[in-house]
Amino acid sequence: MGFALRRLAHSLFVLWAVVTILFLMFRLMPGNPLAAYINEQLSEDDQRLIMAQFGLNRPLYEQYVIYLWNLLQGNLGMSFFRREPVWDVLKSALPNTLILTITGLVIAYIFGILTGAWLATKRGTLAEAVIVPAALATRAAPEFWIGMILLTIFAFTFGWFPSGGANSAGAAYTSEWDRILSRDYVLHLVLPALTLALYLQGLPLLLMRSTMLEILHDEFITMAKIKGLSPWRITIHHAARNALLPVVTAFALGLGATLGGNVVVETVFSWPGLGRLLVAAVAQSDYPLAQGAFFLISLVLIILNLIVDLVYGWLDPRVSHG
Amino acid sequence: MEPPVLDVRNLSIEYRTSRGIVRAVDGVSFSVPKGAIVGLVGESGCGKTTVARSITGVLHQSARIAGGELVFKGKDLVAAPEKEWLEKRWRDISFIPQSAMNSLDPVYRIGAQLEEVLVHRGGRTRAEARSRSSELFDMVGLNPARLDEYPHQFSGGMRQRVAIALALALDPGLVIADEPVTALDVIVQRQILDVIRDLQRKLSLSMILVTHDISVVAYVSDKVVVMYAGRVVETGSTADVLERPRHPYMMGLTNAFPDLDTAAHDLVPIDGSPPDLASPPSGCRFAPRCPFLLPRCETDDPASAALGEGRSVACHRAPEADDLRARAKESATWLPA
Amino acid sequence: MANVQMPAQNLPAGRGDNAFVAGLRRILRDPFSVAALVIYVLLVLVAIFADQLMTHDPTQIQFRANGRVATNQPVSEAFLLGTTNLGRDIYSQLIAGSRNALMVGVTAAISVAALGTLVGLLSGYFGGRIDAFLMRLADVALAIPFLPFVIVLSGFFRANTWNVVIAVALLLWPNTARVIRSQVLTVKERAYVEAARVTGASDLRILFVHVAPNILPLTFLYGSVAIGWAILTEAAVSFVGFGDPSRISWGFMLQDAFVSQALSRGSWNWFLPPGLCIILVVIAGFFLARGAEEVLFPKLRS
Repeated sequence: MGFALRRLAHSLFVLWAVVTILFLMFRLMPGNPLAAYINEQLSEDDQRLIMAQFGLNRPLYEQYVIYLWNLLQGNLGMSFFRREPVWDVLKSALPNTLILTITGLVIAYIFGILTGAWLATKRGTLAEAVIVPAALATRAAPEFWIGMILLTIFAFTFGWFPSGGANSAGAAYTSEWDRILSRDYVLHLVLPALTLALYLQGLPLLLMRSTMLEILHDEFITMAKIKGLSPWRITIHHAARNALLPVVTAFALGLGATLGGNVVVETVFSWPGLGRLLVAAVAQSDYPLAQGAFFLISLVLIILNLIVDLVYGWLDPRVSHG
Repeated sequence: MEPPVLDVRNLSIEYRTSRGIVRAVDGVSFSVPKGAIVGLVGESGCGKTTVARSITGVLHQSARIAGGELVFKGKDLVAAPEKEWLEKRWRDISFIPQSAMNSLDPVYRIGAQLEEVLVHRGGRTRAEARSRSSELFDMVGLNPARLDEYPHQFSGGMRQRVAIALALALDPGLVIADEPVTALDVIVQRQILDVIRDLQRKLSLSMILVTHDISVVAYVSDKVVVMYAGRVVETGSTADVLERPRHPYMMGLTNAFPDLDTAAHDLVPIDGSPPDLASPPSGCRFAPRCPFLLPRCETDDPASAALGEGRSVACHRAPEADDLRARAKESATWLPA
Repeated sequence: MANVQMPAQNLPAGRGDNAFVAGLRRILRDPFSVAALVIYVLLVLVAIFADQLMTHDPTQIQFRANGRVATNQPVSEAFLLGTTNLGRDIYSQLIAGSRNALMVGVTAAISVAALGTLVGLLSGYFGGRIDAFLMRLADVALAIPFLPFVIVLSGFFRANTWNVVIAVALLLWPNTARVIRSQVLTVKERAYVEAARVTGASDLRILFVHVAPNILPLTFLYGSVAIGWAILTEAAVSFVGFGDPSRISWGFMLQDAFVSQALSRGSWNWFLPPGLCIILVVIAGFFLARGAEEVLFPKLRS
């Protein structure tokens, strides 16, 4: 319990720090501190409204407090380009990003961990000689390039999957759930999720394999053999279970770097998620939207990090039990 | 006389190394009487741990048994198919490792690890395993309430007790302890050895205790087997071997404390070091360091000669042992030539 | 227990080699590290002799014999990798891209290594508040989504290669810093550092004369991995359209191909080579890091 609370407190601290950096970043950048929230593209009424809501004529530290308060209430300002509240725009993009991210992660890590563990038992075989360099290559390749190749082969050449978007044009659904669970959506999800998965699986695969190889030399594994336990039990129940720990740690450390990659995958496949929204917002100098998208992406990351921390605590009793 | 629990006959074990094949164990023979603790003693690299591990059937990847027999309760394990050895693991032959910390899985509770052997190797039900675990903890002097804790929450001495409990879980016929107290500090060493000795007496366990520390052997074992450079150089009852050693090597070592009960005297180190087993010498392996060297010692490898009542020694000058022993007590004998 | 022990067997004496030379020799024995070095050398050579290696001006629109623009030409003798949809020679662009890759890779690697090492040194050596503050900073840096940050930086400031380098340095130093820090903690306790302190050497002197040399190999190791990250990041930023428009990079080529519908046309000659080049350079970084790691942290196998 204490462990979970500590990790939560830590996450909240990090969230606060990120939010503050965001505040400074967007105020310092466009030059005119008002420009972060107000623009001629908005109506006069809206401009005055935002001015009041965000206290843009107040001193900076007051603006900061107001900013935090607004953030807690979900008020992220008004998008210059779309002239709607930023939160409304983000709301529809968020589920798409979450689904893509989680699907990709789950596939990548289940595949990577199982294959890595299996590969550790296949020392010196052809499988090892082929799979290890292949995994390294996926780690060295630009994520969007992998997407481009998949797109060319499976969408353009074979025509098995659509080439972009999350839903076919003209489709109508009774509710969000229906839309997400529809066959159409899933078909659109396959290639981007696969791209993300292909890109992400290299780390768990290689790390699981190398950790397993080390652990298989550890004393407690030798003891397990002396006890006469079955090879299955030794490899999975003891070795793999211990090998998971560094994989989980590495995952947490790499989240920021690897999941930011959502942005490029969403671009390749025109997937309507937060990443694509961010790119569009930056291109259009739509500061409030860019800020909002960035914030939400950070939030997702921090929450994922917290979940991973808790999972690690559950997996490693040395951390959660004094 | 009951037949011995284990009869090691002419055992040889080879390692594949970058320098070629090394015979770490070369024609080792000794027996373990039923209900006795046999101390297997020797310095690092003499092959004692290799012998111990070979009895469990789990050797290092690069090692293999090159010859000889391991006759356990009348059946040779070396000649038997692997399946039979697997059957016996832990049920008949168990093992207490040197460092329990590294030999316990850090992510599972101690109780779970005890239950694991009881259920998966002992065929007990969960409930039976649970009660047997408590029983085992009591036996080794641990509080059964701590069964739900993790290895890192135990101290070194307690973890060794856990290792002992694990080894005794399935009532094995033979327990092999590999340097069970080496990693502990002196006071705890005594406690653990007491636990081992008491349990052995209560349960009439047959044990092999591997160590490089003669005082440990003196404290608990009934019989001693002394190894040097992959060979057995002397065997016998503990009292006899330590009070009346017949091999120069043993004489040199017991020189350090001629009396079992007094504190350690100045160590008179035996000059030199053991031979490189990648290219073993042709004569007696102890020849380069032996103060009683004869010319034939360098060409003829002495075979182990039985002297009756479980006593044996491998030395050309064994008949003169009493004289040699007297000379060995003078430190001048051991000064390098 | 009267601890009378059997004397331990003497270990054979090691060869007293200069540690650096020995390390270098070990790296060269590893085929992967050799491959990595070869790739790097090739990259440097191509970048240096780019002008001589290019067959055409990479930005110039090419024409065919009949006067028409040479759009989407396939691989041929005239155009070694074909042309883009605007008639530019792909092969020449690829060669030109090597310069950018090298520059971005090296500067980013140096920045990450320098920043990470500095933080690690300060954190590990001085400990206390400085350490706590810097490690919190590391946590925050790791929580910021990497690519989005670079995009925002590139989008709102000028689209510039240096933004990538700065962003990479700002967000990727934590991993290096953490490892350096723990290494410093180990070195700090060593005898010669204590001796230096006793003789009154200043902290800075101890830091740079005694501690730093033990840290530099690690710096080198993390620097090699950073090269790959930097190139990948630059490629990604270019791909989403915020790359430096004044430079040809492999990332730019891929973006160009993508927006020009090269995918639906199946112009593999256009978008395959830049990706392969990136893979080669990045994987070289991995191999070199792996080779260096083997030398720095040899795994003792009996």
